Amino acid sequence: MKTFKGGIHPPEEKQLVKDNPIVDFPLSSRYHVLVQQHLGAPAKPVVKAGDEVKKGQVLSEPLGFVSVPVHAPTSGRVREIGRIVHPVTGLLAPCIVIDADGREEWAHGLPLERDPFAMSREELMDAIKAAGVVGMGGATFPTHVKLSPPKDKTIDTFIVNGAECEPYLSSDHRLMLEQPERVLKGTGVIMKVLGLDRATIAIEANKPDALRLMREKAPAEIRVEALKVKYPQGAEKQLINALTGREVPSGGLPMDVGAVVQNAGTCAAVWDACARGIPLIERITSVTGRGIMQPKNIRVRVGTPLREVIDFCGGLNSVAKIIFGGPMMGIAQFTQDIAIMKGTSGVLVLREEDTNITAYSACISCGRCVEACPMGLIPSVLSKLGEKGMHQKAVENNLLDCVECGSCTYVCPANRPIVHFVKHLKALSRAAGAKK
Amino acid sequence: MISSILLLGGIGFLAALVLGISAVTFAVKMDPREQEVLDQLPGANCGACGYAGCAAFAHEITVNPEAEMACPAVNEKALEAISAVLGRSLGGSAPLIACIRCKGAPAETTNRYGYIGPKDCRAAQIVAGGPKGCQYGCLGLGTCEEVCPFEAIIMGEDGLPRVIESLCTGCGKCVSACPRGIIQLIPRTGNYWVGCVSKDTAKEMKPLCKVGCIKCGICGDVCPFDAITVSKTASAEIDQDKCQRCGLCVSACPTGVISALSVPRKVHIIAEKCKGCSICEQVCPAEAISGKVKEPYLVNEGKCIGCGLCIEKCPSDAIERIIS
Repeated sequence: MKTFKGGIHPPEEKQLVKDNPIVDFPLSSRYHVLVQQHLGAPAKPVVKAGDEVKKGQVLSEPLGFVSVPVHAPTSGRVREIGRIVHPVTGLLAPCIVIDADGREEWAHGLPLERDPFAMSREELMDAIKAAGVVGMGGATFPTHVKLSPPKDKTIDTFIVNGAECEPYLSSDHRLMLEQPERVLKGTGVIMKVLGLDRATIAIEANKPDALRLMREKAPAEIRVEALKVKYPQGAEKQLINALTGREVPSGGLPMDVGAVVQNAGTCAAVWDACARGIPLIERITSVTGRGIMQPKNIRVRVGTPLREVIDFCGGLNSVAKIIFGGPMMGIAQFTQDIAIMKGTSGVLVLREEDTNITAYSACISCGRCVEACPMGLIPSVLSKLGEKGMHQKAVENNLLDCVECGSCTYVCPANRPIVHFVKHLKALSRAAGAKK
Repeated sequence: MISSILLLGGIGFLAALVLGISAVTFAVKMDPREQEVLDQLPGANCGACGYAGCAAFAHEITVNPEAEMACPAVNEKALEAISAVLGRSLGGSAPLIACIRCKGAPAETTNRYGYIGPKDCRAAQIVAGGPKGCQYGCLGLGTCEEVCPFEAIIMGEDGLPRVIESLCTGCGKCVSACPRGIIQLIPRTGNYWVGCVSKDTAKEMKPLCKVGCIKCGICGDVCPFDAITVSKTASAEIDQDKCQRCGLCVSACPTGVISALSVPRKVHIIAEKCKGCSICEQVCPAEAISGKVKEPYLVNEGKCIGCGLCIEKCPSDAIERIIS
């Protein structure tokens, strides 16, 4: 079975939620829509307190090409442009607070009925951009940017990422099982945008039902590939390497080897944007972990308060850590006063006994991290440089190629927070670069 | 025995010969003043001048007659010595000192979560913006202490860094290292600073910190020199150029968030210039000036608060500020 070199195999823990069908999260009374939910240039609110908004209406306009708008998750009134803790930075960030009126009125003309395959490439790109579609796997990079490679790069491979290699999470799995048409049709639209006549959907072998269903439904030009169950199989560069044997050069992007990778959820969002003009205002999220009473897969609107999501899933059992995303790359939260965002692929609640919150000790140079690193780096050296803040030396040791997957930290017997050191070094290196 | 002595002696002689010849042929010509300048520089290689280190800067300032004194850490005595060596007068910048703009010691503030990662404020800042409840306050992990090349910052027992005024040279290393941007360089002339940079409103801040700036604006109202700007969404800011060091804001601040350097600030009347007009006596809010009309007036240093009101009003420029 296809795979890459390195990586780890943590307990999958998907049984908690993988067989639970997606349930619709009921309408909330208030939404907190963060203005910045993507990687890249900021966006600016275009509504003000007191404005009436309709479902799907634009709330912010992007400032720059690598930026996307956000949209109203339902109809109602803008209460204020307030501040709420951003789940990624942990700092207060501007958000648009909307009081729902319960009427669920769509913005004028929505949803549309149109045939994306009759639209031109430019029209499709505009539709994707206007809908605010970002990478739904968690990185939230604007999709339209990824679909516009520079002229000198030829794209010959398009991979739909259905690997979902993060333990616990099952949102992509459920999406592929319950709404395969959205994924497949969205794949078709992206193929058209990229000018390709074939694509590959990659799914880890621990989802045999999804593999079977996708193979059954997929048209001839879309190939469905099973991948070995290994983390981080769903990381862009590892996925390309497993399927095509190509290696993204150091410091390069997938487009340097002619590949584009999109998450299965992103494909579904692209389909909604192009066929129906529906912006990205909701997503499928796995609420799981042993710290939540009733793990569920929910279809939830962007901006829904986390507290309500937790209540909907039966409340907390016992909690040591709440993580947005998976246990490997997700971001731990310190408060429940936050809101679901476009990149929230999962809400993971861990109990004390599911975590390992202990102090770290000195590196014993055992080399397990070197074995685990899917990028072929030497994490032990990076972690030691991190302790000293020696970012220049770390860059010489290919610091910037680290994808922060956390495999090294997972296997480290000394509990060293290696990814934390790497992030620290990257920040130092960026700051030194900005100073020059 | 003899042969060993001869052999070793011979090797020694040969080595000495090689070293001697290379010392002459490969000698690096160096302006002797360069070494003298270097001896006067602080030698911490902190890089605040913009050069690779003290030696690189000493070279530049010696060979380039246009070069300005870029070392912020050099003291007045050394500056004079360097000027003498180079034979041109170098105007050093006004001496600066670092001040810590946060008074939120752990006892006064809350934490958002327990942090067990690397002991470096910059690393802690990456984790959800740092463990401290206030997202603007000092994280207290001692990165400024770590980077200070002059050992002028120590972490106090209260968990906040403290600047040792006599050791700080104002090089600014700590300023760029602090991820919260709470260290500021202010003139050494004994200025005041607001020990808070929070942009939270008083209501937002109250549950997080007991000692921060509550944006009440009293300091701005009492300042006779209009040197303090206050807004609802930023801590009070003292304009160091306008501040006359009167200290009225310190006593007016309800949370005690305004601090001062410990150098006493006083005024002195130059007897030769004083015409004995008594204006200074009249404007002095501290009743620190006394004297007889038409005779030189005297300042009672114990009472003087150094507000400088007399300096402004003196018609004969007879009053100067002193740092005693």
